[in-house]
Amino acid sequence: MRGLLTSLVPSTIDHPVLSGRWQLHPQVALRPEPFGALAYHYGNRRLTFLRSPDLVELVRTLGDHASVDDALQASGVDERRWPSFRTAIASLADGDLLIPKAA
Amino acid sequence: MDEQLDTTENTDDSELVEEELLVEEVSIDGMCGVY
Repeated sequence: MRGLLTSLVPSTIDHPVLSGRWQLHPQVALRPEPFGALAYHYGNRRLTFLRSPDLVELVRTLGDHASVDDALQASGVDERRWPSFRTAIASLADGDLLIPKAA
Repeated sequence: MDEQLDTTENTDDSELVEEELLVEEVSIDGMCGVY
């Protein structure tokens, strides 16, 4: 069913999460699933599906890198997929699942 | 019969790519007692 859950978006987006160091919120728990992971935020009670194991790994290691792009570079994710991952990271930041990491 | 779809389009303004839906929020409010 390719194409049902896709849309055409610009390859670059502008969001604060894309600059600076961010990390998974300490109140967020990740539960691995075959499709990726379930993320539950104990603070705001939001349940979020992370629909890619690559995204899950990116989120787990985000705090180890100076920026999202650095983390993507280290993750080995195909660069053609980076726009989707940037959008996903921005969405997670908007949902408070990601927070800025203190220097 | 598999066809390879062209997943990229080039425009004058910016490169458009096919987006994957990687994050999906699920609402569980009001689910208590639902069987």
